[in-house]
Amino acid sequence: MNLKKTLTPDTVWVDLRADTKQGVIEEMVDRLVAAGKVRDREAVLASILEREAKMSTGMQNGVAIPHGKTDSVRSLVAAVGINKAGVNFDSLDGSPCTIFIMTISPTQRTGPHIQFLAEVSRLISQPAERDKLLAARTHAEVYEILTGK
Amino acid sequence: MQEATQTVTNAVQLAAEAAGHAASSGHGITHMMMLLIVQLAVIIIFAKVGGFLFQRFLRMPSVLGELASGMLIGPYALGGAIDLPGMGILFSEHAGFAASTELYGIATLASIILLFLAGLETDLAAFLRYSVVGSMVGLGGLAAAFVLGDLCAVLWPGNGIDSFMDPAALFLGVISVATSVGITARILAEKKKMASPEGVTILAGAVFDDVFGIVTLAIVMGLAKVESSGEGVAWGAIGLIAVKAIGFFVVVTALGLAFARKITGAIKQFRSREMMVATCFGLALLLAGLAEMAGLAMIIGAYIMGLALSRTDLAPEIEHHLQGIYNLLVPIFFCVMGMMVDFSAMKPVLVFGSVYSLLAIIAKVVGCGVPAWLMKFNLRGSLRIGLGMLPRGEVALIVAGIGLASGIIGQGIFGVAIMMTVVTTMLAPPLLVKSFDGGSGLRKEMAGTGEDIVSIDLELPSRDITEFLLNRFVRALQQEEFFVHHLHTDEPTYRVLKDDIAFTLLQEGNKLVINVPKANQHVARMILLEELLSLTDLLDSTKRMKSIGQMGTDLVNGLFA
Repeated sequence: MNLKKTLTPDTVWVDLRADTKQGVIEEMVDRLVAAGKVRDREAVLASILEREAKMSTGMQNGVAIPHGKTDSVRSLVAAVGINKAGVNFDSLDGSPCTIFIMTISPTQRTGPHIQFLAEVSRLISQPAERDKLLAARTHAEVYEILTGK
Repeated sequence: MQEATQTVTNAVQLAAEAAGHAASSGHGITHMMMLLIVQLAVIIIFAKVGGFLFQRFLRMPSVLGELASGMLIGPYALGGAIDLPGMGILFSEHAGFAASTELYGIATLASIILLFLAGLETDLAAFLRYSVVGSMVGLGGLAAAFVLGDLCAVLWPGNGIDSFMDPAALFLGVISVATSVGITARILAEKKKMASPEGVTILAGAVFDDVFGIVTLAIVMGLAKVESSGEGVAWGAIGLIAVKAIGFFVVVTALGLAFARKITGAIKQFRSREMMVATCFGLALLLAGLAEMAGLAMIIGAYIMGLALSRTDLAPEIEHHLQGIYNLLVPIFFCVMGMMVDFSAMKPVLVFGSVYSLLAIIAKVVGCGVPAWLMKFNLRGSLRIGLGMLPRGEVALIVAGIGLASGIIGQGIFGVAIMMTVVTTMLAPPLLVKSFDGGSGLRKEMAGTGEDIVSIDLELPSRDITEFLLNRFVRALQQEEFFVHHLHTDEPTYRVLKDDIAFTLLQEGNKLVINVPKANQHVARMILLEELLSLTDLLDSTKRMKSIGQMGTDLVNGLFA
């Protein structure tokens, strides 16, 4: 799967600042609103928090994949953010999360939504790729690592 | 047009003969129908019980049980000895043919349904995607089986067949071509090898085998018709027949695929599922008839119609609705095929049959194994692929039935075909299971590229909830644009494909099992996780229901007032 088709340079951020789980999610949604990818901030936020309430999307080795489904978006919206300081995200292994992959998809529309998450996760599951992402200094560098450009 | 007129004339003649037969034996059509209904009753019950016993106690495919039942109750065994008062012999020969015209008509209908559904279930997308390895393995097996089958008939002394192009020889070639992958799929699923390189190759090869087998049959039917009419066949004419057969297949399939959505779009105007399914089935019958008129076989037309509709959204609907009629009619077909085995005619060809069966085994093991070995497999892997392609089944029996009905092959050769089907179907499971002992089937230098398969097991509290979650998972995969292909095995088994991702999922009692290459496990795990979590929504919604007790009370309240 080609990540370039879904990720755009303006939805990849190297400098997330929030230091709580709720804060990171809100910051990423706000940045998506600012980038013009999302209109209904509240609906998107609610859908992601609803999913988090079922089970935290904090995985292992500092990776979290907050995502939600809402009809306030027409097609898959994806973003990747990095917070080098690390945020407590109730992750599986208890370690703070540094890499955040967010997707918002329409409730009924078909398309490779979870597959996108899975593909990014597969890339990040390699320690070398994670190290590269955490060493990146600019948004563009992160984008390049993810899309192989 | 001439051929069409001829077909109609033949049909009229047959009907007249049947009526004449009824009149001359002093019985009216009612009596004929009464005998037919009693025969069907016996066949359905024996076929179903036989199939059940074979599956349950011998762990063999039910088709073998249905065949055995047919042999037992046929005119050459018990059926010929049972004299019913007021009705006569239960099953008797009709002009050297074991089934009456009426009974054979029903068996023919069953074979059309079988091939229509086979076409519908063909995974064209996978067929195109795995075309390189699949086509090599499929074509290798096809060519070897056809040539060895044909040559076996030609070189065997004393059977009156002395030319490669003799219709009987051609039929023996084509009968040994079609692999019945259902049996292999079941074993691969049980051994958790469906997503292995061997498993993917076998299943892709079998799709090719099916399609090319049908094309080969089309060519052979064309040749046989010319040959049996006594005209000499020049190579130019053979080429013409081949072009005509392949042309019919390619043109009709292409037209079907191009217009399938328009046709189904029009059919959907009925807004009734029964109407849509019935109309599509009607179209399949029509194309079957047209194929026969074009000098091919009816099953070819039915298969093409299925193939054309396989990519429309009506396909699952048609499959679902025809399943009931399939379950009832198809066992009748296999039972009738079993009834046609004349044991006395088989005695002289027993040795020939053994050699033919042995060659049918060698043909697939070598024919599929060598291309596999040339691609990336070692000897062990190639043997597994060859053995996986070994079992012959439904199509071999249908082709043999067509040969017998059209007089191209005799009772003896027909028996030989049945023998080969039974031998290969019975031998494949134990051999295949044994072949999967030991290590990787990939060559050492390729082993690094071989995929590690991870087995993800999820045990749930009950079988019902496992089935529910499995169905939700399948739907979620389809929404993620995966091709999910249902395999007809005892336990629900699915093959999931998309681009370079291939894995299998199956239900084992209350366990959901996913066999997935390690590199692709993220996607399988994550989609399943989402579906598992969605169960909590369902639980929440049940909590919002009135109390179950109250709902139950409302339902039965007043029943005994």
